[in-house]
Amino acid sequence: MSGAAAASAVEIGQLIRPDRVHGRVYRDPALFRLEMEQIFHKVWVYLAHDSEVPNNGDYVRRQIGLQPVIVIRGSDGVVRVFFNRCRHRANLVCNHERGNAATLRCPYHGWTYSNHGDLVAPTFDEAYEPTLRSEDFGLTPVPRVQSYRGLIFASASATGISLEEHLGAAREFLDLILDRSPEGRIELSAGVQKMRYLANWKMLPENSVEGGYHGHFIHKFAFGLFDSRSGRDRLAHEEEWVRYLTGGHMLEDFRDVQYRPKQPPSGARKAYLETLSKTYGEERAQSLSFGHAPILFVFPNFLFVQTHIRRMQPVSVNETYVYYQPMLLAGVPPEINQDILRIHESSFGPAGFLSPDDIEIMERNQIGVEAQGNEWLFIGRGIHREERLADGGTIGHDMDENHLRGLWQHYARLMSRA
Amino acid sequence: MSATITRADVEKFLFREARLADEHRYEEWLSLWTSDAIYWVPCDAESADPLRQVSLIYDDRARLGDRVERLKSGTVLAQDPKPRMRRVISNVEIAELSATEVTVESNFVLVEARGIHQHIWCGQSIHTLRQQDGELKIARKKVLLVNSDREMPALQFLV
Repeated sequence: MSGAAAASAVEIGQLIRPDRVHGRVYRDPALFRLEMEQIFHKVWVYLAHDSEVPNNGDYVRRQIGLQPVIVIRGSDGVVRVFFNRCRHRANLVCNHERGNAATLRCPYHGWTYSNHGDLVAPTFDEAYEPTLRSEDFGLTPVPRVQSYRGLIFASASATGISLEEHLGAAREFLDLILDRSPEGRIELSAGVQKMRYLANWKMLPENSVEGGYHGHFIHKFAFGLFDSRSGRDRLAHEEEWVRYLTGGHMLEDFRDVQYRPKQPPSGARKAYLETLSKTYGEERAQSLSFGHAPILFVFPNFLFVQTHIRRMQPVSVNETYVYYQPMLLAGVPPEINQDILRIHESSFGPAGFLSPDDIEIMERNQIGVEAQGNEWLFIGRGIHREERLADGGTIGHDMDENHLRGLWQHYARLMSRA
Repeated sequence: MSATITRADVEKFLFREARLADEHRYEEWLSLWTSDAIYWVPCDAESADPLRQVSLIYDDRARLGDRVERLKSGTVLAQDPKPRMRRVISNVEIAELSATEVTVESNFVLVEARGIHQHIWCGQSIHTLRQQDGELKIARKKVLLVNSDREMPALQFLV
């Protein structure tokens, strides 16, 4: 461990306590740089879903922390992830956000790579030393790439735990999300809403997995509207659970929530529910139906919320990008996917009835943490009643903050490890 | 009502709609729409099919009513305090004209002063206006923001 990192590790220990965190973790640019090194450039980061690059040659641009990468399906059908950096003088080899390419040509001096990453044409190469081999100048692959059911993750570190180990207890809930398609297959083909907010990246998972606490305040009017418009009444608010899943992952579990339908389901919805029952059995089909879907955070940048996969991209200590991609289901009547789009738009993205209030609250929060009178943020709700599981996870009641306590302890470990 | 729709009628309507939106006069703005109206703000100018592609806004009249109710409720944090806004409507071109309907394209530049920020929004609006009981009403409005596919702040006003 370098001297600077060691000093920081000691400091991190002082900034995070079991029931509170210090405001510096949201506003200190030095800690942001350390987060990039210690977290984003080491752990498994969610990049994309298979369905975003369905055809050979399809690519999307993404980032691992602040490092630009390209996710590309080669002409052999294999998805690879490369650093988006020409081996000659480090220009971006790919400037478009998405597209299809047999070859990638660096615009600066024309070096050209296949969609497998091989250097196929350096230019004016008569002046390069004959001992140089073009095999040694392919695009640099990101050290580790693994998928879980079509979700593509990568790690910029050559060593570390496997993706399966990283996902751990979150896998059960990823399955619960992906199995909402009777074919077990989702499509991120409906496009993306993009937002930016002027606040720290960690506020997004903290705000997105909230056990409904802030909903009573900032979303009260919208929730009232949705309840009056939806075809069901929620009978009570006490059967949801907030869980820390270890590994930094967090969950809101709505499987026990009871609903009373106000009107019979549409023909399409009935057909969808019947297919789910046939595929998975009555009980699991119930857990998969709308309203029981979990809110899941997979550390450090993946969220599933109700209708969509939400990908988070840190920009700086006080700026973050958020990408909302509606999750369409394979093997369902088209009306079901249209409903997902319309429900999504009513709530999420820049003009939804929920997201903008969350964004505004995070921006105000970022201003709040500049105040230094008493710098501790309190996350102690429900600490006396949290149920501790054998694997290190915890279960709390609706609105408890056990999951945040777990997240911050995980963060402290990653930030201070060698 | 048999008088033909003139360019002057159309411009007068667009300017009035802009003023009502700028001044947060929600009920009056909502009364400009037909009962079967569609209000569409795509999140990618290339996406042509709102049934398969997500939009920023794809409101029918009922959803538009909810949008206005929410804005009126005083609970929208990005509207507390209310931003000050003015937009300039220009480049008005009539694309199609029949006895009872007109499709008109126009550009806008809108400045939104909110908190410490001053956001500049710009785009093209495509209105389909229908003559109904002697008045023009919006049957369809599509707004193509120039930054629709970029990372953007909250869009919590009437665009």
